[in-house]
Amino acid sequence: MKKISDITIIDDDAITVFGLRKLISSSVECNSIASYANGKIAIDAMNDFFNSKQQIPQIIFLDINMPIMDGWEFLEAFINLPIREKIRINIVTSSIDPRDQQQWEYFKGKSHHLITFNQKPIDRNKIVEITQVA
Amino acid sequence: MVKVPLTSNASYIIRQLPAPTAFIDTNFNIVQTSDKWTSLFNKNDECSNSGSLFEVFPDLSHKWKMVIENCFKGNSQPMGIHKAIDCDGQELWFEWTNAPWYDVDENIVGAIIQLSNITDAVKNELELNKKELFLQQQAEITKIGRWEYNIVENKLFWCETTKAIHEVPRDFTPNIETALFYYKEGHSRNTISMSLFEAQNKGKTWSNLKLQIVTASGKEKWVMAGGKPIYNKGEMVGLIGTFQDIHEQVEAHTKTIDNEKLLRTLIDNLPVNVYIKDTESRKVLINKAECEYLGVNDPKEIIGKNDFDLYPLEAARKSRAEDLKVMNTLKPVIGKETKKTTLDGKVTSFLSSKIPLLNSKGIAYGIVGISLDITRLKEKEKELRNIINIASVQNKKLLNFAHIVSHNLRSHSANFSMLLNFLENEEDENEKTKIVEMLTKASNNLLETLDNLNEVVSINTNTNIEIKELPLNDKILDTKQHLSSLLSNNNATIENNVPEDFMVHSVPAYLDSILTNFISNAVKYKHPERDAKVILSAEKKDNYSILTIADNGLGINLEKYGKKLFGMYKTFHDHKDARGIGLYLTKNQIDAMNGKVEVSSVVGKGTEFKIFFNEKN
Repeated sequence: MKKISDITIIDDDAITVFGLRKLISSSVECNSIASYANGKIAIDAMNDFFNSKQQIPQIIFLDINMPIMDGWEFLEAFINLPIREKIRINIVTSSIDPRDQQQWEYFKGKSHHLITFNQKPIDRNKIVEITQVA
Repeated sequence: MVKVPLTSNASYIIRQLPAPTAFIDTNFNIVQTSDKWTSLFNKNDECSNSGSLFEVFPDLSHKWKMVIENCFKGNSQPMGIHKAIDCDGQELWFEWTNAPWYDVDENIVGAIIQLSNITDAVKNELELNKKELFLQQQAEITKIGRWEYNIVENKLFWCETTKAIHEVPRDFTPNIETALFYYKEGHSRNTISMSLFEAQNKGKTWSNLKLQIVTASGKEKWVMAGGKPIYNKGEMVGLIGTFQDIHEQVEAHTKTIDNEKLLRTLIDNLPVNVYIKDTESRKVLINKAECEYLGVNDPKEIIGKNDFDLYPLEAARKSRAEDLKVMNTLKPVIGKETKKTTLDGKVTSFLSSKIPLLNSKGIAYGIVGISLDITRLKEKEKELRNIINIASVQNKKLLNFAHIVSHNLRSHSANFSMLLNFLENEEDENEKTKIVEMLTKASNNLLETLDNLNEVVSINTNTNIEIKELPLNDKILDTKQHLSSLLSNNNATIENNVPEDFMVHSVPAYLDSILTNFISNAVKYKHPERDAKVILSAEKKDNYSILTIADNGLGINLEKYGKKLFGMYKTFHDHKDARGIGLYLTKNQIDAMNGKVEVSSVVGKGTEFKIFFNEKN
C-alpha cells in the first residue's frame, strides 16, 4: 500500500469525525489527519495551503450538510483552485436525496479530481478501498 | 203574273213608320222602305226601292229565302238576329221580323220586313259574357270564389271555385243551411252565422273574416270570407260575397310564426349570448342572455347600437376591426377567448365566435355572434391552478421534509452502527468509555432531532389550528419578559413602534414562537462592534397585518443564502447556538396560517423581516 501523506475530514458531526479518524488511523498509514467543522473553515485552510505552496491533502472526506458552507459550496470553490495534482475527494453522506446524486455527477464531470459518492455508514473495508491516492 | 201592290197612296204613311221597315214583293225586291230604313242603309237618304233584298244584304242567309217564301204563303216565321252594315260602315245588330203583306183583297202580295236595332243589347251581352269569363278566370287564379244568395227565393249560388274550395261536385246545389254547416263548429260557424244575421237584419257587410271550414272530404281549411247585402229599389233582395282559399297562406304564415317562435325560444334559452350585427356592426338581434349581460330588459334598448355605444373606445375599435375581418374574409372566428369590459366596468370572460352571414350572392350582410360566458370557469380554473400550486408546494415541502427526516435519522443510525462496531472490537477500556460517551451523545442528538421533527409535523398536520385576534403589544411584552436574560446579557434594546391596540390574527403559540425566534435571532447574530438594537413596527395593508422586525446585526448575504434561509438545519453564522431549526419552524408556522415572510438584509448593517399575518383567517 502506498503511503499517504495528508488526509482531511470536513464534517460538522463530531461523532462522524471521531469514527472516520479511528477507522483511517487503524487501516491506512498516513502522516496526518486534519478535520474541519464546515466548508468555510476547510476552504480557508486549502487556500492558505495553496497560497503558501504547501502540500494539498491527497485525500479529502467531505460531508454535504454543514452549516455556513456546505459540501457542494466547498467543492465549487475547491475545484476552482488551480491544483495540478489529482486529489481524491470522498463524499460521505447519509442523504438519499436524488438531487445530491445529480450534484455529484455534475462535479465529477467538471473536475480532474477523483470524486466518489459514499453512503454512511462507512466500514473498514470501504475505508481501505477509498483511502488510496487517486 | 206577279201582282204589284199599289203603294202610291199608302207610301207616305209607310215612310213614317217608327221602325226600319221594308216592303218586298214576292221576287224579294224592295218595293217600299220607311225613312228609318232609308236613313240606315241608303246614302243621301235616297229612297231605295231598287233591287232584291238579297242583293242589298249579300250576307243574308239563303235559308231566309225559304222563311220569306213561307211568309208569302201566310206562315210568318222568326228570322232571328243578324248583323248588318249601315251606310256609315258601322256594324249593327238587328232582330229581323217578317209579316205577310196583304192587298185590299186579302191576297198576299209580298212581305213586310221590320228590323229592331238590338246592337246595344248584343254588345251588353258580349260584355257580360266577357266579364263572366274574366270573373271565372280570376276566381280560378286567385282561388277567390263567389256566391250569391237570393233572399226572396231562398236560393244560394256557388261559383265553381267556391264549390272547388268546398270540395263538392260541380252539380252540387248548396243552400244557406248546408253552407253554414261547412264552417267549422265553434268560433268559425258562430262568426259567420252572426255576420249573416247582421247582414240580413242590419244591412251590415263583412269582410276579411279568417275562418275555418271542414270540406266535404273532411279536410280543415282556412278561408277568407266576405259578403254584403244587395238591394233592389231600396229593398234587400240578397247577399253576395267572396270566398277565398287562404289555407296555404295561413299554414305558411303559421309555420313562419312557429319557426320564428322556435328560433326565438331556442336562442333565448341557450345558455350563451347570441347577437346578429349588420355590416355597420349595429346589433339587429340579441337574445335574453345578451340582454341580461348588457343589463337591459328589452332588446329594443340595444337594437341599432354598435360596439362604440356599448363598450369602451379601445375595445370597440378592436371588436369592429374583427367584425370587418370576418365579413371581408368570410372566415369565422370560432371559440376565441376574450375578455370584455362593459361601460359600467363589469369584466366578463367569453369564449366567443363570430360567423359571417351570407346573402344569396355569397356576400356578407352581417355577422352572427355567439359568446359563452366563461367567467366562472376562468375563476374556477384560477382557483384550481392555485390549488395545484399549493399542492405542488406542499408536495415539494413534504418531499423535502422526507429527505430531511431520512437524512437526519440515517446519519444518527449510521453513527450508532459505527460506534457499536467500534465498541465490539475495542479492547482498550479507556477507549471503550470514550465510545460509550459518544453513544450517549448520539442518542441525545437523535432525541433532539426527533423532537424537532415532531414539532414540524405537528405544525403541518394540525389543520384546525385555532386562530385568534391577539393584541400584538401584549405578546411583545411577554416575549421581552421571556428573553430578559438574553437581552440584558447582550446589552440589547428593543424599540417598540407598534401602534397601541394593534391586533393580529394568529395562533397564540405561533405568535410567541415567531416573536421569540426573530427577536432572539436578532440578538444572537448581533454585530460584534455594536450593541444589538431591535426595532418593531406594524401596519395593516391589503388584508394583512404586517409586523416588521429590523435589527442592526451581522446581516445575511441573501444572494448566497436567500434560498436556504428558512431551510432546516441551515445556519449561516458560526455561532455556538445556531441550530438551524428556529427559522424553519417559524416559516412553517407562518405558512400554516396562510401568511408569508419577506426579508431584506445588508451584510454588516442588519436585517429586516416582514411577517404577514393573514387577516382573512
